[in-house]
Amino acid sequence: MSLSFRNEIDITVWLAGATIADVAIKPRSRPPLTRLFAGKPAASLLPVLPRLFSLCSVAHQVAYLSAMEAAQGREPAPARLRSRITAVIGERLTELLRGLFVGRAALDGTSAAAVRAVMQASALLGGVDEAAPEALHCEAIAQIRTALGALGISSEAAAFEPGSALAASVAGCSGKLVAQPVVEPSFLTLADDIEIVARLLADGAAYSDAPDLCGRIPETGVWARSARRKEMSSSSGDPAARLKARIAEIGQLCAWLDHGATDLEEGVVASYRLGAGKGAAAVECARGRLYHAVALDGEGRIVNFEFLAPTEWNFHAHGPLVRNLKGATLAAGRQGQDAVRALVGSFDPCVGFSLGFREAGHA
Amino acid sequence: MCLAIPAEVTKLLPDEMAIVSIDGVSKEISVALIEDLAVGDYVIIHVGYALTKIDPEEARRTLELLRELSAAGEGAAS
Repeated sequence: MSLSFRNEIDITVWLAGATIADVAIKPRSRPPLTRLFAGKPAASLLPVLPRLFSLCSVAHQVAYLSAMEAAQGREPAPARLRSRITAVIGERLTELLRGLFVGRAALDGTSAAAVRAVMQASALLGGVDEAAPEALHCEAIAQIRTALGALGISSEAAAFEPGSALAASVAGCSGKLVAQPVVEPSFLTLADDIEIVARLLADGAAYSDAPDLCGRIPETGVWARSARRKEMSSSSGDPAARLKARIAEIGQLCAWLDHGATDLEEGVVASYRLGAGKGAAAVECARGRLYHAVALDGEGRIVNFEFLAPTEWNFHAHGPLVRNLKGATLAAGRQGQDAVRALVGSFDPCVGFSLGFREAGHA
Repeated sequence: MCLAIPAEVTKLLPDEMAIVSIDGVSKEISVALIEDLAVGDYVIIHVGYALTKIDPEEARRTLELLRELSAAGEGAAS
């Protein structure tokens, strides 16, 4: 039997001359986890998550564990919460770094070795429920620092060095649209969590397939985090700017893992009890805010489980990517199409995407 | 939400590339992020790159789970 999942997003850009008249997005399909796990013990889903999700599997585990504990009226001890945040930050750093190359730029031997080193070192930082011993943690951070240094990324300056391969990559970023629309800033925040998780449990897949906040579809992810720090007046950002924000965050995450004295940002992991047997959690992972919500019966079995991935916001049919594209002006031919592809890639979907161009009026 | 669909390495190519079989469909991918890969190994791929190597038993259990989910999804749609 073949697998029937559509693990790719289809994007069609409708052009009126050199201007993008409309953008259509066909989402990937989502696995019916509730259907399969309803009636099973809450803990039975936990070991399945890293097998099911190839990206951000730590974030999925932490989100589910936190939601389950909230449903059961339990709270993690501070040390345990700290180890979960460390694991999430380590994974976020790895995902952001890997995403600089995977599907984007040529991966030369030096870069591949550095990314592999970070992937291996990040795994040493500990699991979702156990921190690594101090010596191992320090060793892992040293390895990450060395690997980032080889790529020209400085954690002190949260930037990349001039003359590095990454600097060349940013400078050569082909993603410049001739004109990009000015987009009102709208970013997902911790303050939105309660409304989202309540809707998630109440409306299920109908909400998680196409989420909104009273009609608003905010952006989440690196650019949103960067915008919140800088209080940007517009949420537009060309691919080079988004790439720079990603590199800066990699440096910041490394510095946090090294010193870790202050909070990197609010709500890296947040959990919510929504009534008897109901709980939810949000985790700020590489691509943005990931939500899990679960309802359990009196014996701790799953009645309902829903999750909402960041890609559902950024690649919503009326969401941030569409707002950033609609009304934009393209250069002629391949150059213009490459610019659109670069912008789509800079929104960093958690699945591959296909991109097609059509002339409006020729549907 | 990238589903982790295991792929079996069927042929190693030059320049850190490989042919993998995903549920019977062949695809060429980069294996630059994985060390010590051999034909018969299972990997998890994302946008044309192998991200991690998993053991065959883990791959079998994951494929089994994905088939259950696929069947549940088709049942819901019909």
